[in-house]
Formats: sequence, structure tokens, C-alpha cells
Amino acid sequence: MTPFRIWTLAMSTVTQLLRMKIIVFLAVFCVIVVAAAFAFPVMNPEQQLKLLKDVSFGALQLFAVIIAIVATALLLPRDVEDRTLYTILAKPVTRLDYLVGKLLGVLIVIASGLIIMDIAFSLVLWIREGMVLADAIAGLEHDHRGQVPPDALAAVTESVQKQGLTWSLHLGVWAIFLKAAVLASLALLISSFASSTLFTVVTAFCFAILGHGQGLLRDFLFKGGISYTEYAFAAVLAVICPDLGLFDAVDAVISGHVLSLREIGIMTGIGTLYVIGYTVVAYLVFVEKEL
Amino acid sequence: MNARHWAIILFLGLGIAKLPLEQHSTTTLRSAGALNAPTDLGLRENLGQMSFAASLGGLRSLVASITYLQAFAAFENVDWGKVDSLMTLTTRLQPNFGTYWDDAASRMGYDAASYYRYDESRPTLYRNRLYREHVARGIEILNEGLQRLPNDSKLHQRLGEFYARRLEPPDHVEAGEHFLLCSQNGGLKVYERMAAYEWAKVEDRPTQKRAYDILRSSYLRGLKLPSVIITLKALEKSLRIPPWQHIPETEGPRE
Repeated sequence: MTPFRIWTLAMSTVTQLLRMKIIVFLAVFCVIVVAAAFAFPVMNPEQQLKLLKDVSFGALQLFAVIIAIVATALLLPRDVEDRTLYTILAKPVTRLDYLVGKLLGVLIVIASGLIIMDIAFSLVLWIREGMVLADAIAGLEHDHRGQVPPDALAAVTESVQKQGLTWSLHLGVWAIFLKAAVLASLALLISSFASSTLFTVVTAFCFAILGHGQGLLRDFLFKGGISYTEYAFAAVLAVICPDLGLFDAVDAVISGHVLSLREIGIMTGIGTLYVIGYTVVAYLVFVEKEL
Repeated sequence: MNARHWAIILFLGLGIAKLPLEQHSTTTLRSAGALNAPTDLGLRENLGQMSFAASLGGLRSLVASITYLQAFAAFENVDWGKVDSLMTLTTRLQPNFGTYWDDAASRMGYDAASYYRYDESRPTLYRNRLYREHVARGIEILNEGLQRLPNDSKLHQRLGEFYARRLEPPDHVEAGEHFLLCSQNGGLKVYERMAAYEWAKVEDRPTQKRAYDILRSSYLRGLKLPSVIITLKALEKSLRIPPWQHIPETEGPRE
């Protein structure tokens, strides 16, 4: 593997993807976040902030998953179609360099998109948190005729801040990136032997859905008391699908859970294992592929 | 054996090797509270296929927010049955978010119960029965929430309020227990005294003694509010506290 060649390929992939108007999604995201921030003001302060986080994280996940699958699925066939692949491989570039470069390019685009969206979301959440807190304190002052007990003020501030901007939210974004990285490497693996882009996209989405139900499937498998056929079917699915539910820390983060370094370390370790494993398998399939 | 065969072997090997690792990681992350338990398959019929798939696909919190908003719309339409079923769905999807349990209980125990109590189109006995049933439903929701979140001060506070102000006749002992738990789990300190006020209403001597101890300790800390002094005086009398331990008769209440 040659880092310089991989980097060059990654940058060309980034350019290729940016030409696909991915930036438009980011603009749409910002509109959604601002709309969610000021919708439903009659709800209680905690719920207003939670709704903003729910909508924003939902959009972040959709962006990451769709780009991871569709962008990766498009890259290889497009390079074959416009014959760029032959030009690249005619140079002293190994197929591993090519695959890793493509994957890195997709991951850079996803990471950049997530960072931009995280900044926009954090800014809106911070502004909204300030407004909600000011409203809550004004309500308290009205109830207590201007003399709010310090412990009541502290309790309201704490409950609003718990649902406001915290570092744990950024770790939630990191968990989304890990999920997207696993899906991108899986899409790359499927793409390395698939005959069409549509097949790659559909299959990768099937894996994404099954991967989110992997926890249920494994519980079913390990619980026992099922027929041989059911066991075999569940076992095959459990073996071939990655457990994407492992990266769903967003739910807990939105509810106010603070992710520890150990928890984020476990997710990062598993995510890295999947990405390396799937990329190596993709290389083994791609290395002897007749182009 | 060519590279493709190696690819298949590696893919399957990775798949088998990852299973115990995934199981262990899932257990660790779930016990730490970083991951929720998987969505209950029984929710599928209530949620609909799309929402169920979305809740499986990492959008569980968003689906919970949507069902919460639907419950809010049902609340505006005064459709209490729908409010209850949608709020139940919401709490099932996000059981670790205390506000949902609190809202679900308040909708039933306060809003629906009061609606039925003052709905003059129904016979009085029936209205009262509906009131009691909805208050009981609110208490049931809060107890379920507290099984999930035993240290949530807001849920203890709300349950204490239900026992003290909504239940007919009130259960002062339980109300006091939950007010005390509220204060011990990060809630406002005033709830410690609220517990004492509730226990002071009970005729049971040990319970009154608990109330007396809390109020006396507040008094000695300098909290000489009228309610503290009046309740302490009443407790001194009913508990037959020796006169030399009484709080001064002459000292008037002050903030």
C-alpha cells in the first residue's frame, strides 16, 4: 500500500462525489434543523430540545447511511463505465490502493458532511437552549413574584442544560460516522463482485435493515428452543450481517446519557474491525476480477 | 484455492468470530445505558411497519417524538384512549427518558381524570368512577416508569403528588415516601419537608415521629417557617414530646 497514491485517489473521489451535488443535502439539513428548533413551542422545554435533537440526528443518520451506500455503490461501476479504472490501474497503482483510496474518499465526504451538520446543529441547539432557559426562568420569576429560590433555579437550569448542548452529542455523531463507515465498506465489498449499481444499493440497504435487527436475531439464536431450520436461518443471517445496532448510541445520548471513553472505545474498536475485515475481503474478490 | 475462495472463508470466519464479540459488546453497552434494549416486536402492530422499521433502523428516538406529537394532537381532540395508547407507545420506545413517563401519567391522572370529573353530561357516580380509574392509571404509569428509572426525582415528585392530591382518599404514607425519595435523588430540598407534612397527617406514631425528626432538624437549621412551627407544635402534642424538648412557645415564625 502506498499512502500517497491512496490519498491522491481519495481526493479525486471526494471531487467526484462533490460533483454529485451532495452539498444540497447539507443546505436542506440546515433548513430542517432551524424549522425543528422553532416548531411546537407549546411543548415543555425539555421536549422542545429533545425534538430538535431527534430531528437533527435523524437527518444526520439518513445522510450518513444514504451517502455511505449509494456513493460507494456508484464509484466502481462509474469508473468502469467511463474507463477511468483502466487508466488508473494501468499506472503503478495496486488494486488494494485503488479500493482503499475510494473508501477513504467516501469516508472523508461523510466525515466532512457530518462535521458541517454537527456545527450547524450545535449552533441552533445552543441558541434554542438559551431561549428555552430564559423562558423557563421568566416563568419561575413570574410564579415566585421575582424571588426565585436558588435551588429551584438550579434545578430548572440543570434540567434544561441536560437536554441542551453537551459533548456527548458530538460522540453520538461519531457513532453515526462509525455506522456509515461500516456500511460504506460493506457496500464496497458488494460492489467488488456485483454486476450492477442497483444490485449493490438494494443489497446493501437489506444488510443495513437486517444489521439493525441483529441484536434481536442474536438473542433469538442464543436463547435456544427453536427448530433446526429456524436456527440455521438465524445463524446464517447473524454470521453475514454486521451488528449496526451497536452504533445506535444516539437514542441514549439524546435522552441525556453521557458516553464514556470506554463505551466509545468499544464502538470504535468494533467499527474498525468491520471496516478492515470487509475491505480485505473486498480486495480478495477484486484482485482477480476480470475488468 | 484462489483469492475468491479465501474471500469467502475470511468473510464467514469473520462472521463467526464476531458473534461472541458483538454479544459481549452489546451486553456491556446495554448495561452501561449506552444502548437501549431492542424494540419490542409486540410494538410492530401499534407502530405500523414503516415506523417499526425506522425504530429498528436507529431512528427510535425520532419515532418516539412523532408518537409523542400524535399523542399531543389526540390530547387537543380530547381523545383520552388514544392519548393513553400513544403515550404508552412513546414510553416503550424511549423508556429511559423520564419526561415521557411524567407526561403520560399527568395526561391520565390530571387531564383525563379532571375532564371526566367535571363532565356534567355523565351521572355523578360514573364521573367519580372514571376520575378514580384515570388517577389509578396515572399511578400505574409512574410506578412502571420508576421500575426503569428508580432514581428519577421528577417521577418520585409526581407520584408523591398523585398520592397526596389526586388519590381519594389520599395515601399520606406513600406520598411522604416518594417526596422523600425525590429530595434524596437530586430533587428540591423542599420535598423533604413535604414528606414530613404528609406524614404528620397520619395517626400512626412511628410515621409521625419520622415527620417530627425531619421538621425539628429543619427548625434547628434555622428554617423557622410558619408551616414548620405549626406542624412541629401539633406533632409535639400528639407524640407527647417532653416539654423541655419543645421548640420555644414565644418565638414567632419568621422566614
